[in-house]
Amino acid sequence: MAIGVRVERESMIRLADVSRDYGDGKVVHALHHVDLSIERGERVAVMGPSGSGKSTLLNLICGLDEPTSGSVVFEGVDLARLGDDERTRLRREKIGMIFQTFNLLPTLTAAENVSLPLRLQGASRREAERRALAMLGRVGLADRTAHRPDQLSGGERQRIAIARALIFEPPLLLADEPTGNLDSATGEEILSLLDHLHREFNATILLVTHNQEAAAHCDRILFLRDGGVVREERLQPVGVGVK
Amino acid sequence: MLSILSYITLQQWRLHKLRTALTVLGIALGVSVFFAVRTANLTLLSSLRTTIERLAGKATLQVVAGEAGFPEGVWDQVRDTPGVKIAEPVIEVLAHTAFPDEGNLMVVGVDMLGDRELHEYEFDESRSEVGDPLVALAQPDSILVSRVFAEKHGLKEGDKLPLFTSQGRKEFIVRGVFKPSGMGEVFGGQIAVMDVFNAQFVFNRGRNFDRIDLMTEPDVPVEEVQQRLRGQLPAGVEVTRPSSRGQSLENATAAMSQGMLVTSFIALLVGTFIIFNSFSISVNQRWKEIGVLRALGVERPNIQRMFLGEALVMGGIGSVAGVAIGYYLAVGATKVMGNMAASIYGLVSTPEPPIFRLDYAVAALILGMVASLVAAWLPARAASQLNPALALHNIETRQREAVLGWGRVATGLAMVMTGLALVRFLTPKVGLMFQFAYSVLMTFGLVVLLPKLSEWMGRAMRPAMDRLFGSEGVLAVDTMIQAPRRTSATVGALMVGLMFVFSTGAYIESTEGRVLSTMNRIVNSDLFVTTSQLARSRTYHFSEALGQRIAELPGVKRLENVRFTSVPYGNDSVAIIAIEMDGWFARVKDVLDEGDEPKARELMPKGEGVLIAHNFSSRWGIGVGHRIRFETPSGPLERPILGVIEDYSSEKGTVFMDRALYKRYWKDSAVDFIDINLMPGTDRAAFKQAVQRLTAGEQRAFIYTNEEYKRWVMELINGFFMLNYMQMIVAVFVAALGIINTLIISVSERRREIGVIRALGGLRGQIRKMVLLEAVAMAIIGVVAGAIAGACNTYFLVRTAAVIIAGYSIPFHFPVTLILVTLPIVIAIALAAAWWPARRAVRLRVVEAIGYE
Repeated sequence: MAIGVRVERESMIRLADVSRDYGDGKVVHALHHVDLSIERGERVAVMGPSGSGKSTLLNLICGLDEPTSGSVVFEGVDLARLGDDERTRLRREKIGMIFQTFNLLPTLTAAENVSLPLRLQGASRREAERRALAMLGRVGLADRTAHRPDQLSGGERQRIAIARALIFEPPLLLADEPTGNLDSATGEEILSLLDHLHREFNATILLVTHNQEAAAHCDRILFLRDGGVVREERLQPVGVGVK
Repeated sequence: MLSILSYITLQQWRLHKLRTALTVLGIALGVSVFFAVRTANLTLLSSLRTTIERLAGKATLQVVAGEAGFPEGVWDQVRDTPGVKIAEPVIEVLAHTAFPDEGNLMVVGVDMLGDRELHEYEFDESRSEVGDPLVALAQPDSILVSRVFAEKHGLKEGDKLPLFTSQGRKEFIVRGVFKPSGMGEVFGGQIAVMDVFNAQFVFNRGRNFDRIDLMTEPDVPVEEVQQRLRGQLPAGVEVTRPSSRGQSLENATAAMSQGMLVTSFIALLVGTFIIFNSFSISVNQRWKEIGVLRALGVERPNIQRMFLGEALVMGGIGSVAGVAIGYYLAVGATKVMGNMAASIYGLVSTPEPPIFRLDYAVAALILGMVASLVAAWLPARAASQLNPALALHNIETRQREAVLGWGRVATGLAMVMTGLALVRFLTPKVGLMFQFAYSVLMTFGLVVLLPKLSEWMGRAMRPAMDRLFGSEGVLAVDTMIQAPRRTSATVGALMVGLMFVFSTGAYIESTEGRVLSTMNRIVNSDLFVTTSQLARSRTYHFSEALGQRIAELPGVKRLENVRFTSVPYGNDSVAIIAIEMDGWFARVKDVLDEGDEPKARELMPKGEGVLIAHNFSSRWGIGVGHRIRFETPSGPLERPILGVIEDYSSEKGTVFMDRALYKRYWKDSAVDFIDINLMPGTDRAAFKQAVQRLTAGEQRAFIYTNEEYKRWVMELINGFFMLNYMQMIVAVFVAALGIINTLIISVSERRREIGVIRALGGLRGQIRKMVLLEAVAMAIIGVVAGAIAGACNTYFLVRTAAVIIAGYSIPFHFPVTLILVTLPIVIAIALAAAWWPARRAVRLRVVEAIGYE
């Protein structure tokens, strides 16, 4: 698939002077002149208080939202040059997403939820189901494939969400407070699972969290406040960091 | 507390304006059809009464005797009765002018010299060129016309007015123009007056009058004169007040009115479903809000009251709007019903604007509000019983609604089976409304079954949707399966609307099929000559002379004169078909369903018995072996019933007798139909042209070949069902509203889901496809459910309603073609209805939708 215009090669994600404002009258600066670069295979945690711009950053990277100014470049492609459908295709082929509230479809079974991205990509039902069952096995839910979300615990639901995010082996995984709705033991389980899957798939992970322990699983931590990156902490010797 | 709950409800309305508007519109349409039908019926009866009263003028009593009238001698008896001040004979004819573009003209024959004291018409002095019009009227070719008619044709005194009469075409001289008030208003001003004796001659009334209008002495009570007259006039002659003739009109049009009332109730039922639908979804949508309110200490009854109050207000607003819409719908409905009354019952009405009756409006208002309350009851109960802890959780924690249990399935099945059994085994004559409950019971049973039925059908459709449309198809079906309350509410509205369409269609098809097969069996003349294009021509007839002239044409094998009239019987009226029985029996065979045919063939031509139609037999509870008695102008006529035959000429029931017998007792030689059989080898078309040449410029005659005649009858039947067709359209429209309503709510309810799918890579086109496919799936399920409900309701219509309304049951026939034709139409409507919700879904902002609370 040829999407947009190729700009750079070094970083997987590159934000250049990105701002995102909301409102017409009294403008809220959700992100303010952010420059950021993330390498392939890197695990980056984003921390900060509520309203600091963490979720906005995620939304801009996955193309769900557009910056007011500046550019977001994903694998060398400037997202601003892509139309909605192209951004959507990029998302469904390259970006896995995990939400704090799981966002599973209540009408579908675990296996159907997991297979959904493949089905949206046009995979056959049989193929999608086969891969979904395999993926559910990898997240330890082989015996829960026919259950619906309301029949599962919080931890199980998040595992399904992770399985759904990884089903098409995306190069980038965005996780927005994946342990926010879970107790600490289950949260730790989920983070270990992410570590394991990171090793297995070598996916780049961008983890938004309030939780220091969750952030400790990453290579690098970015601290956001009032829409800007105020600090960076490197935990592992990989990645590029703030420019 | 209720005030804050009301405020919350108001906020909901403000936020969901479209849903609110559609809900209100749903009940408004249901109420409007109900109100329109009742208003139109009332207006029609009023306009029929107005016609009678205007024609009666200042008469305090009227002497009548069915359509055939009574001999002149009765007039002498009435005049000589003490207490009678004035008595004037009257003849009324719906005649035809020979103007090229003109239709019917009501010609009233009155005794001109005495009449002006009794009847209300005033001469238009400004136009009068004749010193004394009454002197001019002494001439036999004189006629007076209303100003409306005169102006329409540019007629003035002295001009010629050509009329088709039973004696052929005649030219009358306009001797005066009367004002458009009183009698001049009747029949929209299409009215003329001539001398009664002249009318008697030119319209082949023999020595009969149609009616006597009389004015009693002011110092003698009217009832006293009425009793006196009843005591001395022959049996079969009625003495009645003009105002009480309204009752006989109500009887005459009862079948039409009852049919309309039943269908208007169904329209209201569809409206009720829309309310139910809306509230079910509203409860779902406000799940979390209800949880918060419960958590904050709002008691269960108050939650229920909040929803019921909302329903009451919506029902009130919808009903008021429905009454307003219904009033304007009544304009069209009155017109259609007026045409039906004219074509089927031969009744002449005077156009009137719809009558606004406050009690009807209040009844419609109450009905609309009660329907809203009933519809909102279950959703309100569900809301009040919600577990607040569960409701406060995220969407994944929602329990699947408990509408799919086997208990419900058993209940639904029991209701349907009970309804079917009642229709099959129990048809007590307890009134239409009570028996309508059978249909309601079956319908509610199906409604209870609907969630399960929708689920089964959804699951059955899933593989096909997957194969055909991929993940979007599966998601569309799953969305339906997993929201059974919402799905079944929409499918329910569609089902009830389509049930109405299918069962009405089946009823019409069954009726047409049965009439056609009967006609094929017993209507086998080569040509038919009739006086009117309408089903009944009560007043304008041929004379026997026309038949004689046609019989002289080369190629005629046999010709029968037929009189089709209505006479009093019991406390109602029945139809009589008087035909030359020897000729009729010569060309039909195996015509009797009950009775000894050889015996009937022998005795009927001698006038020693009668045949009756099935509906006469069932209406009056008599059959072969019984004797039938009529009070005729010549005294009582009593004959044995020799056979029962299949005939659908009149919903009141028909009696067949020999024409000579009829003529002898009713002193009436008028002819309404001439049945002609041709010699073998005679060309029908050529013979038809010969009859046309014979009657051209002489008689207003309609000539049909056998095939044309059957087609004409079928068109008349279609005319009878015209209002049903209109109601079918309204029902489909209301059902379509239900789909729009549901899909809009469905999209707004699933904002988050749609947002998630978009976030996971669902393209806009895929979302659009999903919403559209959901509509298609619902349409398919709706059509199937509608077909099942339609079958049940058809069974009710053919076995119960038809017996009550028309006096006969008709065979069950399922309209497969109609359903197959309807399916793509409903799918197209569903797609059109889904277009806007799909657009909304596509334009959803994903970031907001995912974070949507």
